[in-house]
Order: sequence, then structure tokens, then C-alpha cells
Amino acid sequence: MTNTADNNGPVNRASVDLHDAETFAAGIPHDAFAQMRAADGLTWTDAAAGDRSGFWSVTRHQELVTVSRDTSTFSSAVGHIQIYDIDEDALDARASMIDLDPPIHTRLRRLVSSAFTPRHVQQYEIAIRQRVRTCVDAFESAGGGDWVKMIAAPIPIGVICDLMGVPEKDHELMVELSDHLVAGTGNEALDPDAYGNTTELRLLPFNSPAAFGMSEYARRLGDERRAHPADDLISKLIEADVDGEQLSDEEFANFFRLMIFAGNETTRSSMAHLAIHLVEFPDQFDRARQDPSLLSSLTDEVIRYSSPILYFRRTVTTDTVLGGTELHEGDKIVMWYAAANFDETQFPRAQTFLADRPQVPAHVAFGGGGAHFCLGASLARLEVAILIEELVDRNLSLEIGDPQFVPSNFVNGIEHLPVTIIT
Amino acid sequence: MSTQSSERVVLLVDTDRCIGSGMCEMLEEAIFLIDEDTNIAGVLGDGSLPSERAAVVIDRCPASAISVL
Repeated sequence: MTNTADNNGPVNRASVDLHDAETFAAGIPHDAFAQMRAADGLTWTDAAAGDRSGFWSVTRHQELVTVSRDTSTFSSAVGHIQIYDIDEDALDARASMIDLDPPIHTRLRRLVSSAFTPRHVQQYEIAIRQRVRTCVDAFESAGGGDWVKMIAAPIPIGVICDLMGVPEKDHELMVELSDHLVAGTGNEALDPDAYGNTTELRLLPFNSPAAFGMSEYARRLGDERRAHPADDLISKLIEADVDGEQLSDEEFANFFRLMIFAGNETTRSSMAHLAIHLVEFPDQFDRARQDPSLLSSLTDEVIRYSSPILYFRRTVTTDTVLGGTELHEGDKIVMWYAAANFDETQFPRAQTFLADRPQVPAHVAFGGGGAHFCLGASLARLEVAILIEELVDRNLSLEIGDPQFVPSNFVNGIEHLPVTIIT
Repeated sequence: MSTQSSERVVLLVDTDRCIGSGMCEMLEEAIFLIDEDTNIAGVLGDGSLPSERAAVVIDRCPASAISVL
């Protein structure tokens, strides 16, 4: 039961250790993913030390879309959505809509989804542009600096906090907490007492004490809005009615944490990678300068090429066959978005960055579709598009130093990226 | 996009499948609208599009909720 790969006869094994954050220390392991895409069937990885079972990797676009859209065969609620297994009580303690299946997932998602429709998101355009300009102005007058600290981090956290109703003075705290959450997917052990944590780490999302800090913060802000409702998502969640019930404190805190993390970490990665794209593929941005109609496809190309979330896991609920591989109930399926986004059968010359790459088929950086398709996709695209527009407009000559990647097999983040403006 | 000769097709939204992602609204805001209360997509006017544009919107709907009548 610990290794269902044995039931399949000869099995392809990943050539790199996909458990190890070090494998991702220099970015997406494109060569290993290319081998996995070319292999017959899915690719197997043995269990990490201390974990219950290994997992199957999905790396081709077509199979990733199949898994994404079939939530009854490939569940988010059964088992964990990260590779490593956790106990049932830990699953319950962290559950938010991302860890649930329809129909309860749908009811929770609809509490907030109206704030993220394209029409609704358009109303934030002016505020986003203002934020972008302020950051880029400061960066320009400083002659450069840490692109992540000055551009990629403050813009998305500012936008999602505005939507949620987190006051400006706490934005930096949200960035810090969010960073410490991701640190839980790295190799380093975390201080269990950080942020006043009193909960066992195994019960916390990403096993990180920052999750406790964020929940505590959410509770305080929730109490404040309960007394003084405002026109923001926190008030909406506090007042929410799900089948006649309000969200419990824990559900509310989990919801809050998910929104802050998802609205922050992901868009930040694309914005960080954007600086590298600007330097490596200047001709593609020149094309957009000459033809502004390319902004939409260029935005998707930046997001595809950066693939901020490397994977999510599903768990098989019933025996099935996928890509020629027999799968059994309880098997872990890991969808590597960063692999499917470079699938040559869907994205010809996938390693080439193209401003006018066709937008069909869609990249899977927002997921392969289905119930869990990125709620904030329109918002993220708008933020990235505005930053591109602003940078293309200013036509700065940039020089970049070595990016310091987030050590994680889950996010394709950049911690620091020194960038100088050449005059 | 330059050819005008394309045949028009009428599109439908399966409201049970729709997750309100708004992809359709983003691509074709003249014929799709996400209802503010239900967060489900609806079709505006006659719901018709040139068939190539219809194919794009059908392909990009993450919930596979759009089809040709």
C-alpha cells in the first residue's frame, strides 16, 4: 500500500528528487520535467522519509487539465493538497475552500467570487495603477534596488489588503507572515514559538507558526468589523450566510489566510520574474511598445513563463487509468503546473518567450480549470498587465544580479533580486 | 480576426457547472455577464458570436460550462 507503483510493472521514476526544495533552488527543473513529459504514463516518486506514500506526477498539459476538472475522481478534500501526508485533525484544522470539494467548496467560493469578476476587478484599475506608479517612481529615483522589496512585494499585497480591508499600516506584517508561511515548504526547521504560537506545528498550514500569527490577526480584525462593518471582504465574510450558518472563527481565519497568501505570494512571483524577462527578452517588450494590443498575450506569457505555483496535489477516490497508468484509490497525484506550462505539444517552442503567443490553449498557471481555477485570475492579470504597461512605457534599461529563489518545491518565488537602472 | 465571413453560433451556459470565474466575461463582455447575486454567468442579447471567437471562449471556460446551442 505504501508503493502502488509496484502494481504497474516497469515504472518511470523522476530523475530528480521532487521532495527536495534544493531541486528548485535555481528555478524550474525544466530538463527533468521534459523527461517526465516524454515518458510513457505518469512518473513515480517514492515516499519522502517519514511520509506514508510516494506520488504520481502529472506533467503533460492534457492530463493536468483532466485531473483539474474531475474533482470527484481527484479530490482536494481526501488527503492533503501538499505532497506530504498530515493527520485528519490537522486537515480539519486548516481546511479552507482550497482543501474542499464541491458542493461545499462552491458555497464557500461564492461568498467572495463576486469581488473577483472581471467587471468588478476593473474598478480597482485606477488604484492599482497608482500603487504601481508610486513603487516604480521610488525605484527609478533610487536608481534601482531590490526589485522584490520595492516592486514585486508591495504592489500585490497592497491590492489584496485593500480588497480585504487590511489597513495600510499592517501590509508589511502581511508580507512577513506570508513569507514565513512559505518557509514552511522549505528544508529548514521553523521556530515553533514564533508569532506567539501556541499550536502544535503539525496542525498549522505549511506547519508554519506564521499561520497562527495570521489567524490571530484575522480574529482581531474580524472582531473590529463585526462592531464596525465596512465595504470590504472581511465584513462580507463576517456577515456571510452559508446554508443558514455563519463561518466559525476557525473557518473565517482560514479563509482570510488563504486570500492573503494567494493574493500576495503568486502575483509577487510573476512580478519578480518579470524583471528577468525584461532583461532577457527585451525585443518582446519592444514589440508591445510598438503594438499595445499585445499587452494581453504578453501578460499571459509572463504568467506562464513564471508559473508561480509549482504544484498542487489531489488524491484518487476510485480506481482509474490516467495517461496509461493504473491509479488506485488513495494514490497521490501531483499536478506540476510548471511542467505542463512548457509542454511542447501545447506551447510550441515552449522555452521561447513570445509576446504574441496564442492564448489558446490556456496556460495552467491559474490551474487547469475546474472548481479550483484561480479565484483571483482576473485581478492578477490586471496587476501584472498594469506593471508591464508602466515599465514598457518608461523603457528603462535594467541590469540584474543573481536572483535568490525561495527554497521550496511548492512556489517558484524569488526572495531577492538586485536590479540597477543603467543610465 | 480579419475575416467577417465566419458563421455565428449561439452560446449557452450550464449554470450547474459555472463557477463564476468570469473568464467568459473577460473575453466577451458584450454577451456574458456574471450575475452579482448568484455569481453565475448568463448570456446577454442573442448570445451569438462568430464561431472562432466562440471556440476560444468555450476552450477557456475553466468549468467547461459553455456550449453551442
